[in-house]
Amino acid sequence: MPNINVTLYGDIASYGAGKHIAIMDLDLPDDAVIDTLLQEISLPSTERGYLFVNAVLFDAPGLYASKDELLQNGDHIGIFSIRHMWPYQYRDGIHMSEALQIAMEESGAMKNTYRDINQP
Amino acid sequence: MSKQILRINMADLSYKYEKVPKKWSKWAGRGLTSTIVAEEVEPTCHPLGPNNKLVIAPGWVSGTPAAPSSGRTSFGGKSPLTGGIKESNSGGLSSQKIAKLGLAAIIIEGTPKDEKWYTLFLNKDGVKFESADDILGKGMYQVDEIFWKKYPNEPAIIGIGPVGEKKLSNAGISINDPENKPGRYAARGGLGAVMGARGVKALIVDDTDGPGVDIADMDLFKAGRKKLTDAIMSHDLTKPGGGLNLYGTNVLMNIVNEAGGLPTRNFSAGQFEGAAKISGEMIAEMVEKRGGGMTGHGCHPGCVIKCSNIYPDEEGNDFVSCVEYESAWAFGANCGIDDLDYVAKMIRECNDLGLDTIEAGNTVAVYMDGGALEFGDKEGALSLFDEIRKMSPLGRILGQGVEATAKAFGVHRVPTVKGQSMPAYEPRAIKGIGVTYATTPMGADHTAGYTIAPEIAGVSGKVDPLTDEGKADLSLTFQAATAFIDSTGYCLFIAFPILDIETGFAGMVESVAGVMGLKADDVDAIAMGKEVLKIEREFNTRAGFTSADDRLPEFMRYEKLPPHDVVWTMPDEDLDKVYSWID
Repeated sequence: MPNINVTLYGDIASYGAGKHIAIMDLDLPDDAVIDTLLQEISLPSTERGYLFVNAVLFDAPGLYASKDELLQNGDHIGIFSIRHMWPYQYRDGIHMSEALQIAMEESGAMKNTYRDINQP
Repeated sequence: MSKQILRINMADLSYKYEKVPKKWSKWAGRGLTSTIVAEEVEPTCHPLGPNNKLVIAPGWVSGTPAAPSSGRTSFGGKSPLTGGIKESNSGGLSSQKIAKLGLAAIIIEGTPKDEKWYTLFLNKDGVKFESADDILGKGMYQVDEIFWKKYPNEPAIIGIGPVGEKKLSNAGISINDPENKPGRYAARGGLGAVMGARGVKALIVDDTDGPGVDIADMDLFKAGRKKLTDAIMSHDLTKPGGGLNLYGTNVLMNIVNEAGGLPTRNFSAGQFEGAAKISGEMIAEMVEKRGGGMTGHGCHPGCVIKCSNIYPDEEGNDFVSCVEYESAWAFGANCGIDDLDYVAKMIRECNDLGLDTIEAGNTVAVYMDGGALEFGDKEGALSLFDEIRKMSPLGRILGQGVEATAKAFGVHRVPTVKGQSMPAYEPRAIKGIGVTYATTPMGADHTAGYTIAPEIAGVSGKVDPLTDEGKADLSLTFQAATAFIDSTGYCLFIAFPILDIETGFAGMVESVAGVMGLKADDVDAIAMGKEVLKIEREFNTRAGFTSADDRLPEFMRYEKLPPHDVVWTMPDEDLDKVYSWID
């Protein structure tokens, strides 16, 4: 049963009983993927912004490249609210998961947000 | 009324208004300050000598009615820190007031023959030269307070602290914010020392009954203004309640840390265990818990993004504005300090003394790396500002910035390019920013390369974030786009909505074209930005810079950065491609 360390940043900290930051350790099933984690903490995927696993970017706001990624015992997951910004010029060349690279090649790597900005 | 150039000669305490020469008429903001510096300042002159000049210019749209987030002022001169051309850009009250006086630029030249210090009071009637004897040695908090008491029209105050008076290379130029605090700075590159070398302690700008800004095509301007405002107000990052508004620029602390790109303990690691404690999220918690200060603070009138903050002290009193990401990182992660109150105290010291927080934080970190202080020693770090205030020999070394301090304390890990230290993004982990750090004419500068829409940059669908390939072209386009935005008077943060929202970009261009009397199609942002870069690059070449100056520090090629254990791998010949179109 993998034990996962999770930090939630921004208003989604409320899903971990925090206000702006929530830190928690969770025991998840052996075959847990990132989607399992999001369901465990009841965080809607539409409220999930940038998502990191062990200092590697696995997802971005409005993209869903990471949901089937398997989690390992001792993983650290950092999840940001949809409002968190990370301008392209400050993430150009960082470590990303393979699935996210493919998703960004399709969606345009240089965007600042991948949400439909016309949606509330 | 056409805009004018105000030329102030400190050698004989005279001033005159000049018609803007035709060759300068298409420029404003950074485009104009860099053009004037390149034409009027001998590139080999000593930055503190009589032949350097301080040039100040508002952007094209500054001072126009309700152009959103358009209060940026450009300051230019030859930098004492880098030895090259310097453009430093700030918010605060100055831009709109200078523009409303009908001025395209202010040029301050010469050195007082009597070696005395002056305050310049500027209004619609001209310039008064007043003795600054009574404010010499005073910090900027006191200086701002004195002048708002003396001048009831709440003028802009452009001033230097004690560090600028001593002409130290890390002296910035302070501009008061809407609350009349010295929270806004043209901080980088030591332009405060250039102002000090002119014998000017403060320039007071009162725009009462000024002629205002002419707008050649009001319909086009209004149409552009609406498009840009709508884009800013609807984008996730810039709208009310968006990322910048909620957490300020310090929204980046935890993200960059999670990515392993947060320079820590003088660029020896990419993650800091105390990052969350000095982050924008923590500032929001402090504001709520202490019942004072604020987030969502505007640094100039008419800003609709409002990414500034006022940090409260333990009693809930307003203590300092602004705890920016780069400032919190410089005194926090980079010095191994995880106490936001101490970070805030050091930022306030910088605001008062007249120091650039990025350079100052890096200086403290280098001092720690030299073994003079333990990383994480917050009391020791804060006490260094007493040395600077006293102008002790140690204080004078620290006031010169990172390279002087590294030499004084035998440190080889020196995170500078062209003499200016790096901001809060580790180029070994974030490769793209490394190309910009290395090649921008400004020295290591995180604001030199903002993203522009892929279709404008001509790179749509071609960018592979994981390879070095193409990063030279991309960096050039980003640098050009930034040079254009720095010329508009708009805040650089409009780059987010104009990247993601097509009408936002059109709005920026149309509002500029409306002021200038051009058709929107005639305003080519990238081409104009490249013209500015060419002017700046050629100045540096004439000052003696070569491609050998476009390099990251050596240690980044052999010291592996945890947690990814990466080194800087970009070949020198790729860096040289960025400006091969000029050289």
